[in-house]
Parts: sequence; structure tokens; C-alpha cells
Amino acid sequence: MAKRQTADASDGGEVQIYDHLELLSAMGQEFASSLDIEASLKRAIEHITNYVNAEGGALFMLNDEGKTLRCHASTGPTDITGLTLDADQGIVGRCVQNNASEIIRDVSKDAGFHGGIDEKTGFTTKSILCAPMSVKDERIGAIELINKRGGDGLFEDNDLHLLQAMSASAAMAILNARMAEALVEQERLARELELAAEIQRSLLPEAGGKDYPLSGVNHAARTVSGDFYDFFPLDDGRICFNLGDVSGKGMNAALLMAKTASLFRCLGKTVRKPGRLMARVNAEICETATRGMFVTMAGGIYDPATGIVLLSNAGHEPPLFHDTNDNFHDMPAEAPPLGITAMLADGNEFPETELRLDGGTLYIFTDGLTEGYLEDGSELGVEGFKAVIRENANLDAAARLDAVIKLIDRGDVALRDDLTVLAIDDSKNHAARQTGHTPSNVTIDVFGSDEPELLLSLTVPSQADRLKLVRNAVLETAKFCGCDKDVSRDLVIAVDEACQNVIRHAYGGSPNGKIELKICRNEDELIILLRDFAETIDVSKVQPRDLDDIKPGGLGTHFIREVMDEVEFLASPGDGGNLLRMMKKL
Amino acid sequence: MIHNIKEQGGAVIVALEGDVDLQSSPDARKALLECVGRKMPVVVDLSGVGYIDSSGVASLVESLQSARKIGSKLVLAAVSEGALRVLQLARLDKVFTICNSVEAGLEKVK
Repeated sequence: MAKRQTADASDGGEVQIYDHLELLSAMGQEFASSLDIEASLKRAIEHITNYVNAEGGALFMLNDEGKTLRCHASTGPTDITGLTLDADQGIVGRCVQNNASEIIRDVSKDAGFHGGIDEKTGFTTKSILCAPMSVKDERIGAIELINKRGGDGLFEDNDLHLLQAMSASAAMAILNARMAEALVEQERLARELELAAEIQRSLLPEAGGKDYPLSGVNHAARTVSGDFYDFFPLDDGRICFNLGDVSGKGMNAALLMAKTASLFRCLGKTVRKPGRLMARVNAEICETATRGMFVTMAGGIYDPATGIVLLSNAGHEPPLFHDTNDNFHDMPAEAPPLGITAMLADGNEFPETELRLDGGTLYIFTDGLTEGYLEDGSELGVEGFKAVIRENANLDAAARLDAVIKLIDRGDVALRDDLTVLAIDDSKNHAARQTGHTPSNVTIDVFGSDEPELLLSLTVPSQADRLKLVRNAVLETAKFCGCDKDVSRDLVIAVDEACQNVIRHAYGGSPNGKIELKICRNEDELIILLRDFAETIDVSKVQPRDLDDIKPGGLGTHFIREVMDEVEFLASPGDGGNLLRMMKKL
Repeated sequence: MIHNIKEQGGAVIVALEGDVDLQSSPDARKALLECVGRKMPVVVDLSGVGYIDSSGVASLVESLQSARKIGSKLVLAAVSEGALRVLQLARLDKVFTICNSVEAGLEKVK
């Protein structure tokens, strides 16, 4: 086939190419190095036209899903670039449809010839070569050459063989270029997805360290995930958490996930009631959510000081509570998923459940976990999950989660769905509470490390006429500790003022409340704990008043801070109320 | 807490006795404001006050403000140790005129 022929340099203005193989190689390189397929096609048709020594050439490609043939490049006296034919029209159409090349030595004798162009241009078509461009069964188009230069202007069979070979090569080059283009696009999308996934991963909380009660895992089925979980500490020592599943997968789910997670984290720092928080997030999502998308979520607040979880479940898979007696309890949803309706049956709050963990572990997960395939092809299921948790009961929570995840995400097959699970393990805090020797359920280290000596424990109703009783008890306790007159008097002032605050502010003057006073000694520290059972007050508002602006009432807090060495409100005890800790160095 | 009010030498002497606390300070406030209302200088005798809390102090402040408003005088006299400590905590020991005895107080308001 390597018939040496001379391309007409004066016509195409291109570098002469002497060899067929050389031409193929040049074309291949042209397509590979250029990102502009149309320009490459133009140069290819010029090369081929010159090489076969034709007067003109045109390269047609199938467009519109194979319905039309469009001229993408042409050379010679008539530029027909852009000319569009029906896919079966003319000699080109016939050639493509039959996937067979044709030589029409004399067009005047062929019925398929489309004479319209000649009429418009004044060009006389004498002879046509047409070869299909296809790779295996994929039809790409055809190359048509018009009139042989010199002589009688008619093509020979040899010319057709040459064009066939070059069409095949051009087809290959075009297909490669298309694939390369698709690949570049694919890579660009993959890079963008990877960036999105990176942002998404940054929305997940950092692991909390070895003894941290919360741990979670999120494995995405695709690059980005529609699942999420989060936990973050509140300034009262409690921990706000959530786990959610956005309907659908892919980018739209990932974006809604990012929005929901951000809303929860942002609002969760100020809205301290899970039911109210859920309602707020729901309202925001409903306002702007895309129709048909929703989020199932279980979220709440865990109090390490009491082991109590306040949980609100918006249409999510029931979380499982594994108690210390090895029983599992599920916590079914009591509200619809977020984003379905802003109208709530129960006013402005989602229902909320109080759960006392008492050393147990609460597991919240997405259905990607329970519906995940095991190695034998069966689903893990809720029972399977329980079994794995039981088998690994001696491990810490993070390791237990790993054990479950490993069963489903084995690394060899793609995940069926995003896989997310969060564990709230109360065992360590429970143990600390048991050994804490603390009054009521308070585990925060109210006394420091050593065991304190209880000096006084007194419960009085929230009535002003009992304050004298309290003062006398405090005075005698102070004297018992060897405090001098001044220190004793100061302690009396602090306790009296603190009790007043409870009566006036916490209970709002109601005489039906209860005040618990405990005084303990721990080496050289006298610790006074004052507990009430009123609604938790906003600690930030309990500030000593500005003494330059003294008005009747409200000096008490200032007195307390003046006379005591340490004053702080501890995390609200589990059964509500406030706990004030005051310490005086002896 | 009990209180005794008497007029002497063109002034009103009001003696508070016992604990002026959340329970009794409303009574103390009423008595103090009543004395100020007599438009005479007031000497508050605190010798019998074992304990006074922030609400009691607030009553004293309110009385002082009322007296000043009508151009009258109000002094504290014979302040007990316990009451003085609370006034110091409130940084009010410099706001009030504090006299050692009722007699000194009467002299002061003349």
C-alpha cells in the first residue's frame, strides 16, 4: 500500500508528506496534541486531499445521534463546511449507511449524486471517492474526495484503496480524540468531586480522643456522601450531637447535607433543647429545600455529668440503646423528616425523648449500615448489628464501630449506600459518677480529687423566713471549722445572698421550691453547694451589678463574688435546676 | 426585725433591730421611707442590727436617694460590725455618712 506519491505542495500550502505511514503518523500526532478537534479535522482533510492528489475533499461526521451528516472540514475550490445532509442522503449517506467505500468514476452516470452544490458554485464534479470512517461497529462519518488532479480527472481503484486506509486511520484518530476529550472532562469532574469530598470530610467532627464518649464513622459510597454526623461541646459541659441521612446520593444530596450539618452546628450552640433545635433546622430547610429532598436526622444533647441523653428523632432509622444488662432498646422516630413540612403538630418543637444511659451506649446509624451487604451477600440487618456489638462488647466504642464497618466496607466491592454510625458510650462517665462520692448525680469534679468531709446538709423550702435558719446553720458550721468571726460572717453573707437569688430569681418568689445546701471541707477548702430545682437560668445574666449604678435590689451576686474565692455554676444537673458551687480558702 | 421611730431635736430617729433580710427588708424599707417622708433629717440607728443583706442595703440606698431628692439628710449611726461589713462590700461606707452614735448622728444632721 505504501505507494510513494507526491502531494501537491503548491495547492494545500502544507509541508509535503511523501509516505502514507508518515501521513498517518502525522495525523495521529495532530489529533493527540491538539485540543481543537475541528482544526485537526481541517488539517487532516487537507493532508488526505493532497496525498490522493484530488481537487477537493470533505469530511462528514454523523451528528444528532446519527440522524444527520455534517461537513466538519473541507478543502478545495468549494468550502462546504457546515453543509448538513440527512444521514442517508447522497453518496456520502449511502457510504455511511452501508459502511462501504465507493468509487464513482463518472458522476453523470450516478443517481445518488447531489448536484445542488455544483449548480451554486459553478464547479463541475466529475469523479468521486468516498470512504466511511468507522471503528469496529461505531460509525463516525465519511471522507469524500472530488476529481483527480490532472489527466481526465477521474479516480482509479488504487486511489480508493488509499482513501480507505486513511479514512480508517482518521476514524481512529477522531475516536481517540473524543475519548481523550471525555477523559479530560471526566478528570475535571473527578477533581471537583474530590474537592467537594474534602470540604465534606472537614464538616465531620475530629475524633475526640481515647476516653471521649462520642465516636463516629462515615464511609461514602461515592466520592461525596449524603450522610453526616457531628458532635461538639456546649459551654455547660454537655455535648450536642446529630446524625443524618439526606435523601438521594450524589452532589445534590451532598450540598443539602452540608447545609443541614452547618445549620445544626450553628443553631445548636444557642438552641439548647433538641426538640426546638430540630424545629428550627426544619424550618430553615423547608424554606429553601428543593422539592422532594428531605433529611432524616436523630440529634440531641448528651450530659456527661448525668449520663442523660435528650434525643429528638426526625424520621430517622430508630437509634439503638444497648444497656448494661445487654438489652437493646430502639428509639423510633416521633416526627417526620426535616424538610417535609414546616407545619408541626406540636407547636414549634419536635418531640424529644429523655434517655438515661447509665453506663450503656446509644448507637445512631443510617440504613446504609443495616442494609449493607456482608461477604455472603446477605444484609447485616439490625439483628446482625446487635450481634456484632455483643461480640465486641469488651472493646471500646470506636473499635466496636470499626468491627461493624469492616464487615460491610471490605474494600473489594463498592458500597451499596453511604455508611454512617455514631456511638455515645456512657460507660466511662458512668464509672466516674459511681466513684465520684458526689451528692445527687453531679459528677463534675466539684471537690477536687480528694474525698471531702461533709459538714452540713440542709434542705429548706424557698421561703424568706427560712433564711435565718440557713444563716445560723452556716455560721455554726463556719465556727465549727475554726473560721474567725469575719470569715464566718462573710460565709453567711454569701450563702444568704445565694439563697435569696434562688428564691427571687430561680423560683420567682414561689414558696413551693426546694433549696439544697451542702457544706463540705476538703483540706483547706470550704466548699458550699447550693442546688435548686427551678428552670435552668442563663448564667451569663448572673453578673455582679455595676456599683456606680446602685439601685434597690441586686447587689447579692456582687457580695458573693467579693467574699468567696471561687464561684461557678456547674453543668445543670440531670433532673433540671441549677447548681452553684462556691469555695472559700480557709 | 422590729423598728422604733421617734422624733428628737428636729430629727427622726429610726432604730432597726434584728436581721434585715429578704423577709424583713420590705418592712424596713417602708419604715425608712416613711421617716424620710416626714421632711426632717433622719438618723438610722443600726446598733441592733445583727445582719443586713443586700436587700436591706438597697432599702437604705433608696431612702438616702429620697432624702437627697427633697434636700433632706439621712445618716447611719452606731453601725454594727456585721452591717458595716456589708456596707463595705457594697462600697457604700463612703456613700453614707456613718456616725459612731445616735447622738453624733443628731449633731451631724443639725
